[in-house]
Amino acid sequence: MKMRHASAALGLLALVLGGAACSDGRSHARATCVLVDVSGTYADQRPEVARIVKSGLLPKVRPGDSFLLVRIDDDSYGKEAVEATITFDAQPSRANAQKLTLAGKLERFAASRKRARFTDISGALLLASEYLRETRAGKKTIVIFSDMKEELPPGARRTLGPKELEGIDVVALNVKRLGQDKLDPTGYRKRLSGWGTRLAASGAASWKVVLDPEELVQEFAGEM
Amino acid sequence: MQSLYLWPDKPALSLLVLWLVSQVLFYAARVPMHRALRKLGAALGGILRIAARWMRSTSDELRQRNREVLLESGRIEAGAKLEHEFRRLATTFTNDLKQYPALHRKLDESVKKVEEDFKASGVAPPEAPGWPEAVQAVAGMPKAGDRTVQKVLEEIHRSAVAQEKKTLQAYREATAKRHGILAQSAVHWKNIRGLLEQVNKAVTGTLAVSARVDGHMEKYEKILKGEDAAERILAGSALNLFVISLFVVAVAGFGGLVNFQLIARPMSELVSGGGYVFGMPISMIAALVIVLMEVAAGIFVMETLGITQLFPRIGGLPASRRRIIFGVALTGLFLLAAIEASLAILREQLLEADKALAIALAGEVAKGKETVAAPLLSRIPVIGQAVLGFILPWILAMIAVPLEMLVESGRHVIGRALVLLVRGLGVVVRLAGHGVRYLVAALAHVYDIYIIIPLQVERLARGGGGAREAYAPARGASLRNPAEPTSQFKAPR
Repeated sequence: MKMRHASAALGLLALVLGGAACSDGRSHARATCVLVDVSGTYADQRPEVARIVKSGLLPKVRPGDSFLLVRIDDDSYGKEAVEATITFDAQPSRANAQKLTLAGKLERFAASRKRARFTDISGALLLASEYLRETRAGKKTIVIFSDMKEELPPGARRTLGPKELEGIDVVALNVKRLGQDKLDPTGYRKRLSGWGTRLAASGAASWKVVLDPEELVQEFAGEM
Repeated sequence: MQSLYLWPDKPALSLLVLWLVSQVLFYAARVPMHRALRKLGAALGGILRIAARWMRSTSDELRQRNREVLLESGRIEAGAKLEHEFRRLATTFTNDLKQYPALHRKLDESVKKVEEDFKASGVAPPEAPGWPEAVQAVAGMPKAGDRTVQKVLEEIHRSAVAQEKKTLQAYREATAKRHGILAQSAVHWKNIRGLLEQVNKAVTGTLAVSARVDGHMEKYEKILKGEDAAERILAGSALNLFVISLFVVAVAGFGGLVNFQLIARPMSELVSGGGYVFGMPISMIAALVIVLMEVAAGIFVMETLGITQLFPRIGGLPASRRRIIFGVALTGLFLLAAIEASLAILREQLLEADKALAIALAGEVAKGKETVAAPLLSRIPVIGQAVLGFILPWILAMIAVPLEMLVESGRHVIGRALVLLVRGLGVVVRLAGHGVRYLVAALAHVYDIYIIIPLQVERLARGGGGAREAYAPARGASLRNPAEPTSQFKAPR
């Protein structure tokens, strides 16, 4: 009888030790790709974008997560559009050092004055989805900083396949309203809903427009 | 619905024909339908009644088993208490009786000394002779004219006064000496009083232990007889013990949580594989394992000390082997506590680094450096965390005692709750059985209401007087109020 009591009392310990022997096999790492528009008027937003990413998203990134920074410019599908790509170390202190390095890259990016003539959002999405798929992360997110008005260079063709963004959450943050949008918000809303339809058709797990960066940060912190 | 219409373009006619056909069919099938309903009611009611009976008997059996276990554990506990008290009584008696000869000798000596002193103080002091009267008589003699006689008398008077003083002095000295002897005797009296108090204390202690033994014996006898009162007392004390030990274990659980939080962050530095188990990072699992290992080590320490008896095999081991297990467990506990203390120090440093990183990422590096430097100047948080990290494992090790109580009392409490649950379920099933029987009986009535016209026709065909027959239940069925017990639709028991 006593032996049964003892085994019941140590049951939890056995369960934990038994569980420790096998991993659940699921990837708990997260991969985040930040797309930043550097064309037209949005190019002036670079310092603000860098500030949001540095103070909001980076502190919430966990060891083992992946982070990607891609420019939205004339030809976003090219590898040159990738500003930074990093997979953080599993050891928190090393990951912190990597965060500091990335913060430096972001500062240099913010200081850059380069301005693109066209806005190849689809190309950036295609590039981001390829990189994100490669990370095999459990949770994949694309954060877009843009006015969401696409202007492709002549001759460029961008088609998002039906499974292009499968399992990827897409969030548009700090979407800038253009001059016409202020006069008639219908165009702005139509533009965003059009992107929603297009992204849903390409298999995106979700599409959200966030006005307050803090909301995204909170959501980012709460995810497993 | 439209598919049932015989003539889709004439729904009313179709419905009327369908109704007429159903009336004929239902009337024709009345007897077998009533019989079927009766059988269905009996079957369902019977099944539920059997289930209710089974639950009742199971709960009785469980209750009986619980009672037996409760009485048995109560008997063992009372027996252990009795044994303990008897051992204590024996030890007290042995000690007291061992001291008795010395006590008796001391008492005897003191009494003898008091007796001697009493005798010594009883020696009569020298009597003061009647000098005052003699002096007064000499002083009162008439003065004679003869100077020689006068001189003789004065001489006599002087020597009488001197003798009186001398005698009085001797008397006073003798009295003072007696008082001195009596004063010395007071010490012996005090000794005697002290010895008697000692005896009184020993006797009172023995009486108290005897009273306790009587109480335990009374309880033991009640348990042996299997009295309900004893069972109630044991159940009540088991519930009290369960609540108290649950509270203590919960408090210890929160302590464990604090402990876990203290080492979870630094463990992520040490165990940074990036793997997950049940959705938890390996580092957190490792921290949890350390906390649980402290608990396990504490359990082994308590077991080997004989404070708890969760593992009877350990209790049955020879003392030398128990000492080895005790040493290993205690060393393990000490090492774990030391590891925790060092992890707590590391934690503080890591938190400071995280804070500095957050400030640097916010772009206020200079300000961040100042903020980070300030707490580093004070070593109090670091020392506090290190001390906490070292002490908490020892406190957690104590969980073995309330844990044993919880496991023991939990068995009775859960058993009792199970009895109540099964009994409650039995009542619900029984009520459901009644409900089913009433429902099936009501269905028979509804059936007859539907074919009320053919039944009325039948009644008229039988000449009006056959109403009772028409409404009477079909052969083999009953239309009576199910509340009234009949041979067919018997009210459920």
